[in-house]
Amino acid sequence: MKNRFLFTAGLGVLAAAAGLLGGCKKDADSSEPTVGTVALALEHVAGPKAVALNGTTYQTASGETFSINTLEYYISNVVFTKADGSTYAAPGVYHLVDVSKPSTTSLTISNVPVGDYAGVKFVVGVDSTATKADPLSLTGDLNPANNMYWVWNTGHIFMKLEGTVTSAGNKALTAHIGGYRAPYSAIVTAAPAWPSGTTLQVRAGQAPQVHLVANVLSLFDGVTHLPLSTFPTAMQPSATSVQVARNYAAGMFSVKGVQAN
Amino acid sequence: MRLAQLIPAPHRPLARLGLVAGLGLAGLLAGAGSRPVAAVPGTAQPANFPPMVYGLAGNPPDAATFALGRQLFYDARLSADGTVSCGSCHRPAAAFAHAGHRLSPGVGRQLAARNAPALQNLRWRRGFMADGGALGLELQALAPLTDPREMHRPLAAALAQLNADADYRRQFAAIYGPGPIGTAQFLRALAQFTAALTSANSRYDHYVRHEAGGQLTSQEISGLALFQAKCAGCHATDLFTDESYRNNGLDRTFPLDSGRARISLKPGDVGRFKVPSLRNVARTAPYMHDGRFGTLGQVLAHYDHGVQPSRTLDPRLRQPNGRLGIPLSAPERANLLAFLRTLTDRDFLTDRRLLAPAPTAPALPGRLFSVFTPAWLAARN
Repeated sequence: MKNRFLFTAGLGVLAAAAGLLGGCKKDADSSEPTVGTVALALEHVAGPKAVALNGTTYQTASGETFSINTLEYYISNVVFTKADGSTYAAPGVYHLVDVSKPSTTSLTISNVPVGDYAGVKFVVGVDSTATKADPLSLTGDLNPANNMYWVWNTGHIFMKLEGTVTSAGNKALTAHIGGYRAPYSAIVTAAPAWPSGTTLQVRAGQAPQVHLVANVLSLFDGVTHLPLSTFPTAMQPSATSVQVARNYAAGMFSVKGVQAN
Repeated sequence: MRLAQLIPAPHRPLARLGLVAGLGLAGLLAGAGSRPVAAVPGTAQPANFPPMVYGLAGNPPDAATFALGRQLFYDARLSADGTVSCGSCHRPAAAFAHAGHRLSPGVGRQLAARNAPALQNLRWRRGFMADGGALGLELQALAPLTDPREMHRPLAAALAQLNADADYRRQFAAIYGPGPIGTAQFLRALAQFTAALTSANSRYDHYVRHEAGGQLTSQEISGLALFQAKCAGCHATDLFTDESYRNNGLDRTFPLDSGRARISLKPGDVGRFKVPSLRNVARTAPYMHDGRFGTLGQVLAHYDHGVQPSRTLDPRLRQPNGRLGIPLSAPERANLLAFLRTLTDRDFLTDRRLLAPAPTAPALPGRLFSVFTPAWLAARN
């Protein structure tokens, strides 16, 4: 095990050196930290109701009703935008939201350069590089053991919604959305409208929170209206799954506010 | 942290001791004192093969990890009801195919969706499965593990089982360091065994490498010439596959299994399946993705006069005169069959290092014994 300790220690030294170098470049005259932390907190709703995985029924715009028993999805490749249009892309963020586990409905992004931001966007799903990755990198939220992974057609499931269409004879509602190959790539970016006059101030020692509302009705409505009564069981990349992905990219997320802490 | 855990340690003395204690196979380690890698089969590059795809550097072979992978491959406890291991449907004597089974029974005697293919020379494979859906050797194992018709075990449950087993915990820790057994360690260890399944010592191999024991009869040489003229367009290189997906005219439509199109979702891929290697082909019956042909004679008859037209039929199976298939006279078929039998590699089919590990005498009553799948149990059905 000696080798392992040496290796770990080596990594630590490297990381420390990298940190020092980074700090010196940006702020040579001061030892003040130049980065802060941002939390993204997600509130899940279906129209006017909060999402509960307990048989609660929700109504679509066209009057169909359904319940939800599973809602999971990935958020990755988070990018913060400043008012001047410059951006910061947070590296290595792959977060699995599982609505049955409250601890997963917020994520914290550290090492965001201090500054005033006025926008956030992110991939709903996983980029193709990570989804095709060698199992060595499939750890944490990307681990295939999390059941958000197709084994017979290698790749992550980006969005999983399972439930029952109560207005259609309790038909099973199964939407497993994923796929990174043309023409059925479901890799989409959500760039929710930023409320005017709101600033996300990133400062060292502070942990502002962006409060996002995620409306699941958007999966079946928006760019394309997909009636639940005829919605096919979606368990592989397809034209339907691309339509669902475009729907949730366009309409699922909205910024409710920014809380400075 | 995890990356550090995954740095393999081929020279770790503890791991080697563990192997000796665990298997009691001193022969496995003959000459291993200085170079344990030599104890792992299939690590050399055969002179007549193309370069490896799954090279040695990414998951460097070592004796302890190979032994662990071998144990995992034959461990039926990884299945939902403890009755099916990888080795249940992939038998060494059949080049790790399943002789006599068009479709193999999995957990609950359900039948798999496709014929269990031979597992050999996987270091040289690109896409995995008949449709290329699995992108790598390590990730491929997740498909049969979790398929409800095969081993029917969620990955998380299989990992929990490994973590609950003191013997596995000890073996994994000796290789990857302390900490829970995770997806990466499990798949890497298993791949050390599947990557080792190299068949490169058939009489044909000795013939092309001008080695001792490489004599072919005149009939076999005629068959080889015929093969090169009529079959090697798809069954290319000394791996005997070009790794492409082709429609070989089994049917006019493919309602049950569209093959490559299931993954690519392209209409042009309907009915296309991975061109299989023909190594040890005399031992890997039944044939085709659905196991429909029981003999090589039936396969050759199909190519001669059984090919069915469809929009995606491979162009190589359309003759200039409009006839379908590959015309083969009776003597030509006999010569081809004689040649195909020279691809049987007895060294590989009988390599003791690739068989199910023999059960060791239990250290604690009933405990160690259950770690290994006894050969008689592995040979279920």
